[in-house]
Amino acid sequence: MEFPAALFPAHFGTGPPREEGGPAPAAGWGEHGQVLGALRGRRQARTTFIPRSGGTGESWEAADAAAVPLLPPNASSWVPSLAPQDILHRGVLRRKLQAGSCEAALDFTKQLSHFFVDHPEDAFGSLGQLLHQNFFLGDSQLRRKARECTIRMTALREDIDCLDARRGCPRQNLVPRLRWFSHLSRDWLFEVPLGVLADCVHEDLLLQWGSLLFNDSPTGGALAFLPPKDTRARTGCLVYPGGQAMNHLYFQDVVLEELPSAQGSPAQFELNGRIWQVAAARVDGEGEPAPGFIPWGAGGFPECCHLTCCFHSLPDFVGIRSDYHCGVWKVPGRTGAPPTPLQVIRTSLPASCLTVSPHLPGELAVCTQSGAIYLWSVETGLQRLRRDPQTMFFRDHSPWRWSDFTAHPRVLSCADRTGLQCLDTRAPERCHLDLFKVGEEAGCQQGERVVLPMYLGRANPSQHLVTTQFSVYVLDERLPLVPVLKWAHMMKAPPLFAHLAPGGPGRSHKVLLGTSRTQELLLLQYQGNFGRVFSTGGSQSACQLAGLPQKLHSISGCLQHLPTELPHQQHLLQQRLSVPAAGLAAVLQKDGLRESLLVFQLSEAGDVFCQRLTHRAAARPPTPTPGDGAAAAPGSSPLFDEPASSPQSSAECPQEPRGSHQPSPAASLRYRRWLKAFSKGCRDPPRPPTFGQKRLFTRKELQEPPAPSTQQRQARQRLRQAMRDGGCIQRWDPLPSALPEPPEPVEEPEDPLSTRLTAAWCGDWARWWEERSSSSLARRQQALRERRWRQKRARGRRSLSASFTSSLTYQSELSEHSDFPTLPLSPVLRGGVSPPAATLPLPTPSSPPPHEALRSSQSLSSRGIPKERRKTLRDYLAVCGDGPPELPASQASQAC
Amino acid sequence: SSHEYKLNFKKSKEACLSYIQDAMLQKQWKRAAEFLTFYIEALEKDFSREYMGPSEIVWRIGTEILCHHSHSSMKEFNSFIEQMKPLGVKRYLKVCLEHAFRLLCNGLIDEAYQNLSLAESWRYGEQPTIQDKEMKLIQAYGGLLDYCSWSKQKNILLEHGQDGLEDLSVEQEMHSCFRKAAMNLKEIIKVPGIWDQFVKCYVDLLEFYGDHNEARQVLNEYAYNSKFPANPNAHVYLYQFLKRHGESKKSLLSVLKILHDIVPSHELMIDFNIMLQKSKKRKKRQLGLEVIFAVLDYAGWKENVKAWSCLARQVKQIVSSEKHLDWIKQEWNPRKDWWPAFHFTHYLAKKNWQENESLSYEKALVAGILLGKDCKYFKYVSRQGCKAQVKRFRILKKFVNKHNPIYLRIS
Repeated sequence: MEFPAALFPAHFGTGPPREEGGPAPAAGWGEHGQVLGALRGRRQARTTFIPRSGGTGESWEAADAAAVPLLPPNASSWVPSLAPQDILHRGVLRRKLQAGSCEAALDFTKQLSHFFVDHPEDAFGSLGQLLHQNFFLGDSQLRRKARECTIRMTALREDIDCLDARRGCPRQNLVPRLRWFSHLSRDWLFEVPLGVLADCVHEDLLLQWGSLLFNDSPTGGALAFLPPKDTRARTGCLVYPGGQAMNHLYFQDVVLEELPSAQGSPAQFELNGRIWQVAAARVDGEGEPAPGFIPWGAGGFPECCHLTCCFHSLPDFVGIRSDYHCGVWKVPGRTGAPPTPLQVIRTSLPASCLTVSPHLPGELAVCTQSGAIYLWSVETGLQRLRRDPQTMFFRDHSPWRWSDFTAHPRVLSCADRTGLQCLDTRAPERCHLDLFKVGEEAGCQQGERVVLPMYLGRANPSQHLVTTQFSVYVLDERLPLVPVLKWAHMMKAPPLFAHLAPGGPGRSHKVLLGTSRTQELLLLQYQGNFGRVFSTGGSQSACQLAGLPQKLHSISGCLQHLPTELPHQQHLLQQRLSVPAAGLAAVLQKDGLRESLLVFQLSEAGDVFCQRLTHRAAARPPTPTPGDGAAAAPGSSPLFDEPASSPQSSAECPQEPRGSHQPSPAASLRYRRWLKAFSKGCRDPPRPPTFGQKRLFTRKELQEPPAPSTQQRQARQRLRQAMRDGGCIQRWDPLPSALPEPPEPVEEPEDPLSTRLTAAWCGDWARWWEERSSSSLARRQQALRERRWRQKRARGRRSLSASFTSSLTYQSELSEHSDFPTLPLSPVLRGGVSPPAATLPLPTPSSPPPHEALRSSQSLSSRGIPKERRKTLRDYLAVCGDGPPELPASQASQAC
Repeated sequence: SSHEYKLNFKKSKEACLSYIQDAMLQKQWKRAAEFLTFYIEALEKDFSREYMGPSEIVWRIGTEILCHHSHSSMKEFNSFIEQMKPLGVKRYLKVCLEHAFRLLCNGLIDEAYQNLSLAESWRYGEQPTIQDKEMKLIQAYGGLLDYCSWSKQKNILLEHGQDGLEDLSVEQEMHSCFRKAAMNLKEIIKVPGIWDQFVKCYVDLLEFYGDHNEARQVLNEYAYNSKFPANPNAHVYLYQFLKRHGESKKSLLSVLKILHDIVPSHELMIDFNIMLQKSKKRKKRQLGLEVIFAVLDYAGWKENVKAWSCLARQVKQIVSSEKHLDWIKQEWNPRKDWWPAFHFTHYLAKKNWQENESLSYEKALVAGILLGKDCKYFKYVSRQGCKAQVKRFRILKKFVNKHNPIYLRIS
């Protein structure tokens, strides 16, 4: 490619950017930037001037009223992502903070309290167990003696409820009791030191907020279209992520008809991470003979057909980036051949970039957030080119890095937020070249940062595109630091996705820019080869922006064309359609004289939409010509006059597209189908997974045994008997090993430390302490009691009625039972869930014995203990029945 | 309250602006113009202290709409811009410059010249010095237009001269144009930047009046001043100037050597290689091989017949003389792991053979020598060539077969 004979004039300065920055809503309009004159021949006195931007370009028009769904909605139910209101302060505090500064107020305390409620075990586990005696859950006043070492939790709760109710009240004072309690317990109550925990929560909150403001993970986009190998063929392959967690990779054949449609079912791969980026490239250096592959009906001309099929058998290499894994797939050129995974690498820090080489097969560039850049070759493995946590030109906190290929297959470009460098992989330490710098060199604004670099090799081998949040730049490797084109794109969010559709000789190159959060899509045209106009100025003219930027349909724009739904469903639909975009792909299609550009867009919910732009070859935007003032209608200054009545004027201007025309019948059918599938998915609430019996058991296993064994017969008999009597079966006579035998307690503990640790592990550390403090005599007595209890139990009771007659005995049994060493205490305490009834040989007495009043429902309710907790409490008491006279309160019961 | 009023006003202003933006991005100029008439109200109550004020927004959007609206004319456009100019003093020169650009692109060169000279004489306190960059550009474009009229008159004079007629007034006017153009162009060239067209014009003027030393100095400064960006064209202009004036080969080569160091893929590298190949010095011929190998590293040169034939010729020369095989080895070693996949695949052999026979010939020669006769590329192309009964392919095959051991020595 030749270098342009003359470039547009530009000032060149060095140093940091001087121009004050800020979002400028109209910065891209009304400017030519510079002009370049060309003398036509030596004898021709006439000079023509061409502008750097604002020249004429091709006319592309949207074929339909809105984007049309290409595939059915991403099947699984979709979880809406984090919204600002989830982590921001609401109410008085927010208003107060907002008045002071424009910073967002993150609701830190709410997140922390969420943590305590969701993970009580991690937050207070062991101290809760240690202190449960000192918390009183009941409603009654504490006795004087107990008051010294016990806190009444119900009072504290009441105070907290009060506080909640008064939230928003300006005269809000902390209740002294709460203040006292927090002073008392702040330093020791938490398992994890509160300061450390708060740091972590705060850090995570800031990260979440940062990613809400600007999430750079989807940079590059997770959508790729592998165009047909043959220009006449109409079947390409769309590569996109899907599934509930966007961790399924699909390769779907798509037929490029008037309305593109999927063909067959996609090849699918399940990956273990969310797919952030799908990058694809076709390497024309790779020639894979397809031995023995003769297409249908080609028997007569094997040689010739073999040749043509080889000609179109260029494989595509598809790189997939998720946070900690990158993979590369190969899609063979032959249609119908399945894609094959080639290699996967794991990174210890999230990868931020993956690009596929357009020059050499199986080469990729990988960047991670540690500042490392690798050249990844499928054959030779990884080569680290650089590892620098610092940014290149000035300090910026972002760990984002990017790398792409350049005109030289052995030179990579590497980028961070501050600029772009070229790096020679043969000597990465020594050879680098500054290609772009956020600074005065490129005329940047203050605060401008690189968002997405892209190699424009298919249009011009030495050009690169760099987008920032304000502008787009086209750079030429041969002219470093000075952009050959700059234009303020005026998009509302930074463009994270870009796609290049190169134009042939004499045509403009099309660049599509896409943003994530706002779903914007912009079509730009630029010209780099302009052979026809400037015959004297060399075959290559300077890069210039051609035509006007054009806005394409966004996904959310099709809402108005979908049939109206019930309000809540409409809301769901609106929510679904306005999720951030996740990728962008396009393909130029030539159909005889008609040329069209198909644009695919992927949303974060996994839906793929497409739209078609058609080229109007003859259209030329009208430019004001000298002396056509007389020709214009009298007094028709379009800016200062009364606005003309619209219906007439729209008829007068044929080139103005109609604002809202209706979708074509085929498109409306698509919309209806899509909506139907979507609302069906909405109606089915997410259910827990169910298993078919047929899969779990074979037919043979499910078959009835020929005759029940004697044991079974006995058991059935007893069951029937018990049902007749209305009683319950305490224990199956021939003791089945339903309960796993607890490990035999070691007779002689080898050392106190290990027993203590074992006890702590099991969760009954407190009891261990008690045991230890009591004398060995007590232990012996206990063993004796145990034995007696076992003997008694062996006699057993067969029915509930028996328990009435021997309630006293039963009670004594129970108190002994509390020391039963094999019963696991921990599950009760931990989860706050009652153990299955079978493990507790404890019938619920219908009429409580006098000193068992605590356990009856009535008495519990009279103490103000909620109904749902009563059972837990009862179980708990059953276990520690011999405990202190007060009601013990555990953290677990609080949590449930 | 007034705060609320301001807030509401700001909100509606923003909404209006986004409607305009939306309409413009969809090329609905009529709609955009209607909204802009409402937005113009924002000019009256300009409370904003933002980066881009409403007056600039109105200027930019109005310009764009007037350029594309079907009912607008240049006359209206001019009157609109004249109204816009006094609205923003800080942007005055920029608006003037853009106005001149519009006029130039529409072929109204005289009007543009008038506008530029008016802008040049603008005085408003400190402002002209603050907007120094724009002022310099205005002067430079004025100089460029002076140069255009100079060359027009020069052409008239030359034509008249052929007829044997002399026109004194035309000649005088031409000289005055020269003086103005030279003065203005000289100024901008001193400032660091990319001034390709200004430099070209200035050098043309100087050459015409025989001031070669000054021209050479200007070009040297433009190419080698480190404050200027590394612009390949600066070196090209210097090279072309030296070549025009029949400078020694040595100075030409030194210019190209520097260009090679900056841009190894520049198209002048072919000339450089040809000059070096002709040289008698061994070192220079070796450099020539280095240059042509470096050129073919780049994707843009992949299918360039000229570059491949240069390489093929030099490689063939070295092989048949069997001297300096180490040069090839030195160049080939760092490339042998990726050139085969980049240049010499089976697919490319087919493609090159079908699309460009002479390219495939040159490449096959290089491939045969560098990779041996069993290389896929060479095998395919020589077989096809022999099949098609092309004589040079048969000779090629013989040549490669004869020198096959060489590839073992260089690899």
